[in-house]
Amino acid sequence: MAVFTSEQKQVSLADAAAIVQDGMTVAIGGGLSWREPMAFLRELIRQGRRDLHVIGTAHGVDVDLLCGAGAVSIIEESYVGFEQDFGMAPNFRRACQGGVTKVYDTCCYTLLQQLRAAEYGVPFLPVRSIQGTDFLQLHPEYKTMTCPFTGLPLVLVPALAPDVAIVHAQYGDVHGNLKILPPLVADMLFIRASKHIIATVERLVPTDELQTLEPNVPYFWVEAVVEVPYGAHPTSCYPFYAYDRAHLAEYYRTAQAGPETFAREYLDRYVYEPTTHDDYLRRIGGAARCHTLESWKDGDDAWRALFAAPEGAIV
Amino acid sequence: MKYRMKDQAITYATLPEVMIYQVARTIRDGELVFHGYGSPVPALAMLLAKRTHAPHMVHIEGATYAVNPDPAFLPSTSNDWSLARGSVMAIGITDLFDIAARGDMGRMFLSGVQVDRYGNLNVTALGSSASPRVKLPGSGGGCNLSGDVQHITIWTTGHRAPLNRVGERQFRFVKHIDFISSIGHVARDGTPRAALGLRGGGPEWVVTELGVFDFDPRMHVLRLRALYPDTTVQDVLDNTGFEPVLAPEISTVPLPTPEHVALIRHFDPLNTHQREFKSTDVSRCFDLQDSR
Repeated sequence: MAVFTSEQKQVSLADAAAIVQDGMTVAIGGGLSWREPMAFLRELIRQGRRDLHVIGTAHGVDVDLLCGAGAVSIIEESYVGFEQDFGMAPNFRRACQGGVTKVYDTCCYTLLQQLRAAEYGVPFLPVRSIQGTDFLQLHPEYKTMTCPFTGLPLVLVPALAPDVAIVHAQYGDVHGNLKILPPLVADMLFIRASKHIIATVERLVPTDELQTLEPNVPYFWVEAVVEVPYGAHPTSCYPFYAYDRAHLAEYYRTAQAGPETFAREYLDRYVYEPTTHDDYLRRIGGAARCHTLESWKDGDDAWRALFAAPEGAIV
Repeated sequence: MKYRMKDQAITYATLPEVMIYQVARTIRDGELVFHGYGSPVPALAMLLAKRTHAPHMVHIEGATYAVNPDPAFLPSTSNDWSLARGSVMAIGITDLFDIAARGDMGRMFLSGVQVDRYGNLNVTALGSSASPRVKLPGSGGGCNLSGDVQHITIWTTGHRAPLNRVGERQFRFVKHIDFISSIGHVARDGTPRAALGLRGGGPEWVVTELGVFDFDPRMHVLRLRALYPDTTVQDVLDNTGFEPVLAPEISTVPLPTPEHVALIRHFDPLNTHQREFKSTDVSRCFDLQDSR
């Protein structure tokens, strides 16, 4: 954790992304199809970032997109996939099977303990579990010991302080105070354990308005804040918008078709050609598409309809 | 009861619905129960159990960690507000995993692309982990929770082993597991679970589309306990890559009541749970009128 005392943290997406350097360990906030900092990740890809070591619990399109753009060399996540929705994550699979990245899976509680060790300022924390699984072979940095108090076997996992945490919050102010609505997933641990903390927010609001929303991240933990409405698209960011399942279906179809198709039909179209976030929003269907994704508020039938079509491929 | 209204129209249950009911029956009243993401079968089993035989069950929802939710519907992705609807509040990720680590989580549900005779599961990689033939999505919290949770119910919809191009069975229940993502009753080197210092009791039940199993208490090997009305012992033996123990009496699974089926259909109008099943299993139907 660091302390950032500047009064004014608001920067452009490009300047925020420039904080991330090649080879850094990057903790990506959100989880699965919820509140992923997607606009920020697209900017990282446009800036040509390479050899990132990504860290997290259960993730999906965020990590798969970075894999598809060749930006990742180590993936320390507990899950990367599209659940029942579309099945396995194609770019992630290709990166692991092609030897671009080594298999370095983690598990949720293991990662939480490693982040908490960093948060508490201690070099490691013990875990009772992991024993008997093959994760001990994947991670030679985990150590085992006999507990001096109970005589039971324990696994010790080292503190993990990511170079940078990137989270997408619903609300923030220019000082960097944030309000993140639950599920918080591992965001608070990433914020407390990491060296650089970058936030994109749906709405930048005056500080007195943020106070009424009961902020949960103080400004001095945040290094840079960027206002990016629809910054989590195509993942959800309630109460603003639901998950864009139709866009994910297009993503999955192009990723599944192979790296060339993905580069031409997805990366070019949605990452490289739209050089600003406004360009991106026009590409995904503009105000009409956004309006549809906000229709979850109109009741259960409208909400359910957002998940009813189109059909995705199932593995 | 508010879900009863459609009972009269319900005359049959599909295999997925019967299987959800079997998973629900493994839940005891008063347990704190959690299911992982991407788990519509256990999610529906928990919603069903709490509204029938286990009203004091504490339901912690998938990826939102919502407490006792009343979901609008089951979407195809788990970290969605629709699944948390109706809950008073959600707990946090550290709350959830700390509950398990200190021994207070009663039950959790795990699945695998490979399952061995001791209930070890692989969701990490097929082939060697150094150079995988197929990289699987990963275990989420399963590695830790398999050690910590009091009881595990394993479910899989892929017990039936298809033939490959040269006519060999492609088993999900394998003799040799490529990677142990979550621990069952005996480790790879033969160490029994009791010597690993783990808090939880390990896999208790295994529910598949072919039958219901537990583990032989002495050998800790998968043991067939019950079949569906349309499956046989031979089906199980043909589709299992090792020899399971056969219980002295093998029963036929109880079928759900129309009320159970109404609950499942109420919570899953999009039939999200069917996405986990082969179409030939979705079309297996059981008459509920005969069993009355």
